[in-house]
Amino acid sequence: MIEFKDVSKTYPNGTKGLQHINLQIEQGEFLAIIGLSGAGKSTLIRTINRMIDITDGQLLVDDTDVMSLKGKDLRRFRRKIGMIFQSFNLVSRSTVIKNVLSSNVPDMPWYKTMFGLYSQEQKLRALEALDKVNILEKAYNRCDELSGGQMQRVALARTVNQNPSIILADEPVASLDPIIADVVMSDFARINKDMNITILINIHHVDLALKYATRVIGIRAGEIVYDGPASEVTQEVLNLVYMGKAVPTSTDKVEIEGMVINNG
Amino acid sequence: MAKTDKTPLFDRVFKPEIITLENGHTVERPKSRVPLILALLLIAIIIASKSTGFDFGLLISRFGQLGVILGKIFNPNWEFFPKVIPPLLGTIKMSIVGTVVGCVLALPISIFASSNINKNKPSLLVIRFIISVVRSLPAIVYAYFFVLVFGLGTFAGSLAIAFFTFGIVAKMLYENIETIDMGPYEAMQSFGATTLESFWTACLPQILPQFFDNCLYCFELNVRNSSILGYVGAGGLGLLINERVGLRQYNDVGMILLTIFVVVMTIDLVNDWIRSKIV
Amino acid sequence: MNNYSENVLEKLSSEPKNLWKRILIFLLILSLVIWGNTGSNFNGITEKGMNVAKAILYGITHPETLLLFNWTSKGIPMLLLETISIAFLGTLIGSLLAIPFAFLSATNIVPKWVSLIFRSITMLIRTIPALVWALIWIRVTGPGAFCGVVTQSIASIGMVSKMYITAIENLDTGVLEALDACGCNTLEKIRVGVIPQLSASFISTAIYRFDINLKDATILGIVGAGGIGFPLTDAIANARWNRVGAFVICLVLLVIIIEWISTKIRARLARGRS
Repeated sequence: MIEFKDVSKTYPNGTKGLQHINLQIEQGEFLAIIGLSGAGKSTLIRTINRMIDITDGQLLVDDTDVMSLKGKDLRRFRRKIGMIFQSFNLVSRSTVIKNVLSSNVPDMPWYKTMFGLYSQEQKLRALEALDKVNILEKAYNRCDELSGGQMQRVALARTVNQNPSIILADEPVASLDPIIADVVMSDFARINKDMNITILINIHHVDLALKYATRVIGIRAGEIVYDGPASEVTQEVLNLVYMGKAVPTSTDKVEIEGMVINNG
Repeated sequence: MAKTDKTPLFDRVFKPEIITLENGHTVERPKSRVPLILALLLIAIIIASKSTGFDFGLLISRFGQLGVILGKIFNPNWEFFPKVIPPLLGTIKMSIVGTVVGCVLALPISIFASSNINKNKPSLLVIRFIISVVRSLPAIVYAYFFVLVFGLGTFAGSLAIAFFTFGIVAKMLYENIETIDMGPYEAMQSFGATTLESFWTACLPQILPQFFDNCLYCFELNVRNSSILGYVGAGGLGLLINERVGLRQYNDVGMILLTIFVVVMTIDLVNDWIRSKIV
Repeated sequence: MNNYSENVLEKLSSEPKNLWKRILIFLLILSLVIWGNTGSNFNGITEKGMNVAKAILYGITHPETLLLFNWTSKGIPMLLLETISIAFLGTLIGSLLAIPFAFLSATNIVPKWVSLIFRSITMLIRTIPALVWALIWIRVTGPGAFCGVVTQSIASIGMVSKMYITAIENLDTGVLEALDACGCNTLEKIRVGVIPQLSASFISTAIYRFDINLKDATILGIVGAGGIGFPLTDAIANARWNRVGAFVICLVLLVIIIEWISTKIRARLARGRS
């Protein structure tokens, strides 16, 4: 369970990333976070595994106070939280399986890491993770031979291989075309159901969010303005979240700021 | 207001010319810097000529001498070849040991000299300064010191080459590390890997091809350059060159230079072949 | 391990085996290093060597500061000026001499056989180490700084023209076509279409070479071609370590400062005026 208790984040330059966030997320939920760029979606997600420090309030993950963690404890804590990035963040020169195996590194003795010696068991688990996201046949290809959608699935497999209880995804489909984006989202949904992993997704595509997520959080200027089931998101809610400006209804790769400019 | 602060000194001294178009729009045309640069260059040339005793007449009157020497060099003494082999092997041996040692040392140090990995500013600056200092001394000065400390021979030469290689490769490498994609590194951090583990698994595969390329380049450079280290007694071909030039046996010098030429060309070819394999 | 599906197990068996290849390469390099060490004369550091090492370190940490303010030709300021002058003139002349070589070696300007001839000449020039060039030139000009200038003028041609060639072969010919369309003659085309494209990269190359020549100029003195090299080696030979310290420190500072300036200038040339 993830618990935000009156959490705020002020950046050193004075920008308010988050303001008085109160939130409770149960294990196994599929949460979509929507909002304009710069509204604080990324900040919210990154505070959970402490890639970003909060400046006020309390953040509990499975009853652990995140801000109290340091060094080794923090790293051990991060082991059970997977993270997916918009730009995939794979080593493009390495093979797919090496990328997946890299999530085993923190558990390995240094000499095995040094020479990249992974056990047969680890390799099998990595291959199985790749099989779960339907990309097993590319296991020994180099990552730079893959398409964007395939790379994001490899990143997902890397995270699954880590066997996390929470997956944080920071705009995982923003650089994918609409059809592939849908496929990747359905992968997320399957993993959420099959493995009972809590999933938090930042997403610009409202229709994809409503299609796959069970719960939607709307953020505006660092504050939560909507929190409820996906089925109850109405046009009024979207107007509130997007400041009454146009709401993207297609899965096109349209930047929301771009829409604002077009309509204003 | 901010604009005046940013205006270069030059434009404040020599005010830009303002051109007014027929429709009343104005454009500022900064004064050309070329005359100033040319004047400075001219002064520098005059000072430098005075300080080096530049004498074109001497060059012309003695130019024939160069022809004689070059004529002999391009007519190498083939019988001298067997005598070239042992010191040539010494030069190659020195280069191999020096290059490998220098490159292996450069790898870990350059990690700590990259601003995107090492976030500790003071230690970053200190390490970079050390690399700069090591790089700024020529190999032959190192060789001279090491010959005095460790005695005449190839060991001093290898050590000197190792220092020289370390300086160059470390610099090339940290500049390289600073341009890599830090995304995978961030991902490794997000699932709890330490800085070193993250670097090793996420960044190293990205820089290795370039690193090997630099090592090969340095090896070629070292074979070329280490032929002079013998001049201060650090083994290899230099001693022989010095001796033959002293005896004015330019045909022998020609043979030595031809050998170096062939060896360097061969290494160049082999390097190209290896490069095509790793990239 | 038995709960993995067929295709996962099958995929694992198709894993490419390159571990052996890596071990082989590693062993190859290792044996090369071992071979390289054969005949190496290292048999521990002698007591005499230890004392010399201590003396060197002591000298470098206690430089003779008096030399810094000695304004005669034996003092450091004049020696550094001479060294810089050698590198400066050598680079200037060398980079000018390299221009015809580069144009005559560029495959997009001259026929292939001409380019091959000039490329071989520059290659030959490059192979002869600067110090050997100095030894040859000393017979012509006699010892002194002038010999250093001539040496560097010639020794620079190889590398500089190689980098010029790359710039020339990357010329954007579209501009020339556009000028042709405006009705420009060949001379005008060179003035308006070629020189502006090449000047920045040529100057940048020359400055880069100046860096290298400065480092080379510090050692030319070893064979008597002027600069700080001779007093430095002389001081080493006579074990005047305080003096060596002063020379080495000034040398290092000079090289670092010049390198810093040249990097700044070249970055600006590449970026343009901002």
